[in-house]
Parts: sequence; structure tokens; C-alpha cells
Amino acid sequence: MIEAGHFLACLSLTLSLGLAYAGLRGDRGLAGRLAFGLFAALGLSFLTLINAFLTSDFSVELVAKNSHTLKPLLYKFAGTWGNHEGSMALWCLVMAGFAAAGAQWMRSGRPDFEARALGVQGLLTSGALAYLLFASSPFLRLDQPPLQGADLNPLLQDPALAAHPPMLYLGYVGYSFVFAMAAAGLMEGRIDRVWARSVRPWAMAAFVPLTLGIGLGSYWAYYELGWGGWWFWDPVENASLMPWLVGAAFLHSVVVTEKRDSLRAWTALLAVMAFCFSILGAFLVRSGLLTSVHAFAVDPTRGALLLAGLLAYGGGALGLFALRAPHLQGGAPHLMVSREGALIGNNLVLSVATLTVLLGTLFPLVAEAFGQALSVGEPYFNLTFTPIMAVALIALPVVQAWSWGKADWTLVWRWALGFLAVVGAFMLAGVALWEIPLLSGAGFALGVWLVFGAAREIWRRAGRVDRLWRFPARVWGMTLAHAGLGVFTLGAVGETALRFHTTLALAEGQSVEVAGWTVQLDDVEAIEGPNWYADRASLTVSRAGETVLLQPQKRIYPAARMPTTETAIHSFGTSDLYLALGDRRTGEGAARWTFEIFINPMISLVYWGVCLIGLGGVLSLLPRRGSGADGGRAAG
Amino acid sequence: MIKVLILSCVWPFLQVAATLDDPAAEARAQDLMREIRCVACENEPISQSGSEIAADMRARVRDMVSQGYSDEEIRDWFVARYGAFVLFRPPVGGLSGGLLWGLPFFLFLAGAGALILQRRNGSLIDEVEAVAADHPDGSGE
Repeated sequence: MIEAGHFLACLSLTLSLGLAYAGLRGDRGLAGRLAFGLFAALGLSFLTLINAFLTSDFSVELVAKNSHTLKPLLYKFAGTWGNHEGSMALWCLVMAGFAAAGAQWMRSGRPDFEARALGVQGLLTSGALAYLLFASSPFLRLDQPPLQGADLNPLLQDPALAAHPPMLYLGYVGYSFVFAMAAAGLMEGRIDRVWARSVRPWAMAAFVPLTLGIGLGSYWAYYELGWGGWWFWDPVENASLMPWLVGAAFLHSVVVTEKRDSLRAWTALLAVMAFCFSILGAFLVRSGLLTSVHAFAVDPTRGALLLAGLLAYGGGALGLFALRAPHLQGGAPHLMVSREGALIGNNLVLSVATLTVLLGTLFPLVAEAFGQALSVGEPYFNLTFTPIMAVALIALPVVQAWSWGKADWTLVWRWALGFLAVVGAFMLAGVALWEIPLLSGAGFALGVWLVFGAAREIWRRAGRVDRLWRFPARVWGMTLAHAGLGVFTLGAVGETALRFHTTLALAEGQSVEVAGWTVQLDDVEAIEGPNWYADRASLTVSRAGETVLLQPQKRIYPAARMPTTETAIHSFGTSDLYLALGDRRTGEGAARWTFEIFINPMISLVYWGVCLIGLGGVLSLLPRRGSGADGGRAAG
Repeated sequence: MIKVLILSCVWPFLQVAATLDDPAAEARAQDLMREIRCVACENEPISQSGSEIAADMRARVRDMVSQGYSDEEIRDWFVARYGAFVLFRPPVGGLSGGLLWGLPFFLFLAGAGALILQRRNGSLIDEVEAVAADHPDGSGE
């Protein structure tokens, strides 16, 4: 079976080289057919890999190293991409999938351009496939298959982690198609309104899964690692944040190109850079260059190959860009105070934020090369990234009302007063009522300001209730995404400012008061799952009129010889009471168990915010309704 | 002698619950623990790590907080002992510190300055107004 998969993958490489050739020569019809063929061949090949995992075929090296007969079916299935080779196969498959989707749904009215985009996508897929086949083949057999596999890293045996890599890859790899369209546009020297209109949906199709993928990864880290936090500014997290930031910048600048035919060179550059940052992320994660708690498949030689790929593709595209950029001037003129100015400001902030994340992530490496060992973590990003992003968030409700070309500047003072009033009120209330630092009060004000700003903007455009429902989905998408930013900000500030954490040691039957809750340890029992055994604590947690049973576990996966913490979370309102089971301590008297207990206020707003941003993206992908003129009028 | 032995057995268990009584001091200690790196782990602050040395380092932070040391003095103590590597908040001083902390703000201000200068000329205003006159509905989505 796996040999058939291997053969199909080799066939795919031939097909994708053919796609590159046909596409770059401008044969749209043939390129389309080859793209479908490529996707079908690679899809079948991937199915043989999934089959090997589902049937626990340990004669396949990859399965023997990463699976186990006792593993639940879902994780056998998801285990296919829970390792380096399998995830690279998924990477190639998604690339081919975007080629096929592009062949089917690209609508630019320019067959030459579409053929070239497919051709570049074929070129990118060929590189990825060559890397898969020659440097990290998942199709290798073992001479002497073992009777049992070594099991998947138990941290990855989790529903969120089953869905997280495919989502993240849809995003990362989705930008390959944006890259391909940018390269095709640059080859023709036609980066214009038609180009912008045809690229935007594809950039959105990458942005939405990337957003949700990062959200899922963060949620997984929150409940699986047992540390109570949701973002650690870890190099692997930063690697996924950078393409997201560049992608967000692109979604804003492409609007300027689409509506006003200006900012063309910059938009093309961002389209190229989003995918470069995706490969850079894969390189940083897979090379083992940076130490991380999330890195699961590390190999320096593969890193070198990924770096070579990044330099070849990135360098090629940037060379092309340098050649064409001087001819990409023009478009409607505008002043600084205009919608163009606002979107350029957005791009300035997002670009500097991206570079800040890059700087903070790579700086320890550079410093090490100069013989200086240092660490860059949360405090650095909180003091650099956060205030720079805050500038954009403060400005957003004000500048999104600005019109194209030249906007009314005088209203800004009224907005500034409004903002200061909101901030002042929240700072006062924060200090007087909630006893939080001034800055946290300002953070809450910012979240409320953003949600209010989103609502205000759509109301300004509508003016009447019945008009709200006649807006194009795209306007609603933008409103929801911006409101989502506000909701996210509220959650992030609330969690940071109000969180509570302590470590307890409890004997069975003992109870203790923590932050208004009574926590009682009923018992701790040994339980067994399909491929693990665990200590499971049962705790009765109660406060006035509310009693819940929480059962955190500490699991051992014998096949992988690794422990994991299974936290127990009780959500009340938007907050979580979060329990992680620690060690058993024997000393004087009865044995005690340690617990990490966290109260994480407003944490669910972080995830709701991310979902809203994703939902906004989905909405803006919906096709325009028939009466486009009416929508345009209403939006004016 | 026996007393000492018993004490040394009990000590680790006592240590677990040894959070500081003053909530403000404990919060300060926890904030510090989030920015001090465990020297035996991959990339974790001592607030998260389960390793023994991290537990010792946490105890040291709480000790120093309760003895009235300032945040800065506690950070300096750890840097003197383990090197700058131990802080997730890299030092501000020196060439590397200046570059690391200054560059983001420099880029932002330089970018904003360049954009504003580029848009500040009179002919541009005339041009925009001419275009606006041609298309009275100058706004879109």
C-alpha cells in the first residue's frame, strides 16, 4: 500500500513540474487539468499514509515511530500529521489543494495571469515535494517491523491538537497561493485593481484558518500544559504570529489597491512576504535553532534545506519585485488624512509589530553569535509590541470613518476627547472599584472603545436600522473582525490584570478557601485509559449556590514514557477556575497532593475575540449580493 | 539530630504551600517568577517549570521579596548569579540592549515621520481636490 503512496507522490512531483512548465508558458487549460491531477494523485498518496496509521502498519518506519495499537482511533488518524514527515506531506497536499482550488475558482478574466499563478504554485509545490521525497520521506519501510509502535507524543493526543496543524497549514500554505498570484502579477507587470480584486479572497482564505489555527494552538497550550496561561511569546508562537500580522497588513493594503489603484508595489511586497514569513516560521520551528516548548520535530539538516528554499523562493520573488516595483507607481492621489492614510498607518503599525516580533525572536541567536547569552520573553514584547499595536487600536474607531482621498480632520478632536473620557472613567473605576493598576484600567477602556467603535462605524454607514441588513457581507465582516479585536483586548487585559494563582497541598478530605471558593479534595484514585493510566483527583469546588465536581488528572503514557497534566476547568461567566494536579507529598501525617489553582477572569473573551475575527473573515468571503450599487451607496 | 532529620523530610512539603501572606507581595513575587528563566529547562519561566532548581529559585524570589528587596535588586541578584540569560527581560543598556529595545520605536517613528513628510506638499492638496471635484462621491467601503 505505502509503495503505491510513494509512487503517487513521485508522480505528483512530475505533475507539479509539468504544472510549473505549462503554467509559466501561459497554457491555462493544461495548467488547470494538471493542478486537478496533482491534487488527486497527492490526495490518494496521503490516503495511503492515513491508512498505514489507521491499520497500525509498523513495517512503515513513520508509523512505528509515531503510533501505537492502543491509541484511540482519532489520534491514529491525526497522528498522520503529528510528526515531521507526515506534516510535510500535509503541507504538500494543502499546496496542491490550493492549486486545484485556484484552477477551479480563480476569476480574474485574465487567462495568462491565472496560468502563470498556477505555474508558480506548481513550482512551489515541486520544491516542497522534492523536500518531502528526498529529505523527509514518510514512505520508508523497515526491514524488521517491530510488534508495537513507539506512540505519538502524548501532549499531542488531544482533540484541539488533531485539528490545529491542518488549520495552521491551511493558513501558512494558503499564503503560497497569494505569493504565486503576486509573482504572476509581477511577471506581467500588472499589479492593479483587477489583480487586487482576484487576490483578496485567497488572502482571506488563508487568513481565516491561520487565525483559528493560532487560536486552537493557544487554547491547547492553555488547558494541556497546565500553566494557566494562553500566550507565552515562545519562538514557535511567534513564528505563527508573524505571517498572521503580515497577512492582516495585506488584507488592509489590498483594499487601497482594489479601490484606488494605489499602493500597488507595497501590496505586492506584502503578498510575497506573507509566505516568506510562513517558510521562515517552518524553518525556525523545524531546525531546532531556537529552543521552544512547542517544537516537536527538530532536525538541523532539514533546517538548512528549508533555509535554502526560503532564500531561493523569497530571493527570486524579491528580485522580481525589485525589477518591477519602479513601474508600479500611480493611482488616485490622497492626503495623509484620508482612508488611504488610515490604511497606510495600519500597515506601518503591523509591519513594525512584525519586525519587533522577528527582532525579539532572533535576537538571542544573534547575541549568542557575539558571545552574549540572553533571553527575550514576555516582558520585552509587552513593553514594545503591545504599545505599538495599541496605537493602531486607539486610532481604529476614529480613522475608519475617514473617506478616500481627503477626510474631514476637524472631527478628530471630538473623538480624542471621547477617548480620553473613556480612558479616564475606566482608570478611575479601575483604581476605586476593582483595585487594578491604572494601565489595566486603560486596557479595559481600549477594549470597550474598539467594540463601541465597530458598532458606531456600521451605524454611521447605515443611519437607519433597515439598512443594516442590506450591507454587503464584507462590511459586516469588517465590523465583526474589528469588534473581535476589542473583545480579545478585554479578555487579554482582564486575564493579565485580574488573574490569581496559588499552589495548594491538600490531604484527602481536607478543604481550603481560595479567592471566594471552597476547594475540597474528596479523593485521588488510580484510573486507566486505552493507552495511559492516571491519578485522578476528585475535588468539590463550591461557592454560594454553586457546587461543581472537578477531576484533574496526571497521566502517564507508558509507551512514550511521558507524563501529561490533564487540567480540570470550571467556567463561570467569562472566567475560568482552573485546576492542575501536581505531585503526591508524604511527610508528617496523611499524604498530601499539590494543586496549581488559577482563577482566570475573562479568559473566554480571548477565544471569543479570535472566533469573531475568524467569523468576520468568513463573512467577507461571501459573494456580494445582487444590488452592488445600493451597497456601495449605503457605504458612502 | 533526629529532629533535624524529621525537619529535612518535612521541609519540601512545607515549602509547597509557602506562598507569602501579604497578597501584594505574593503578586509581586509571581510577576517576577514569570520573567525569570528556569536554568534547567527548554524555554520556561520558573513560574511554570516543574524542575527542582525552579522550585529553589521560586523560593529565593519569595524570600527576597519578603525581606524587602526591590524588583531591580532581585533581578540583579539573579543576573549576578546566573548571567543575563536568566531574565526574559533583556537588559536595556549597552549596544545590544539599545538596539533591541530602541529599534521597534525608532522604526515606528521614522516610518511615521517619512509618511507625513511625503504627504506635506501643496501641489498634492490641489491634485486631491481636483480629483475630488471630478468624483464627488469619493468614498467607498
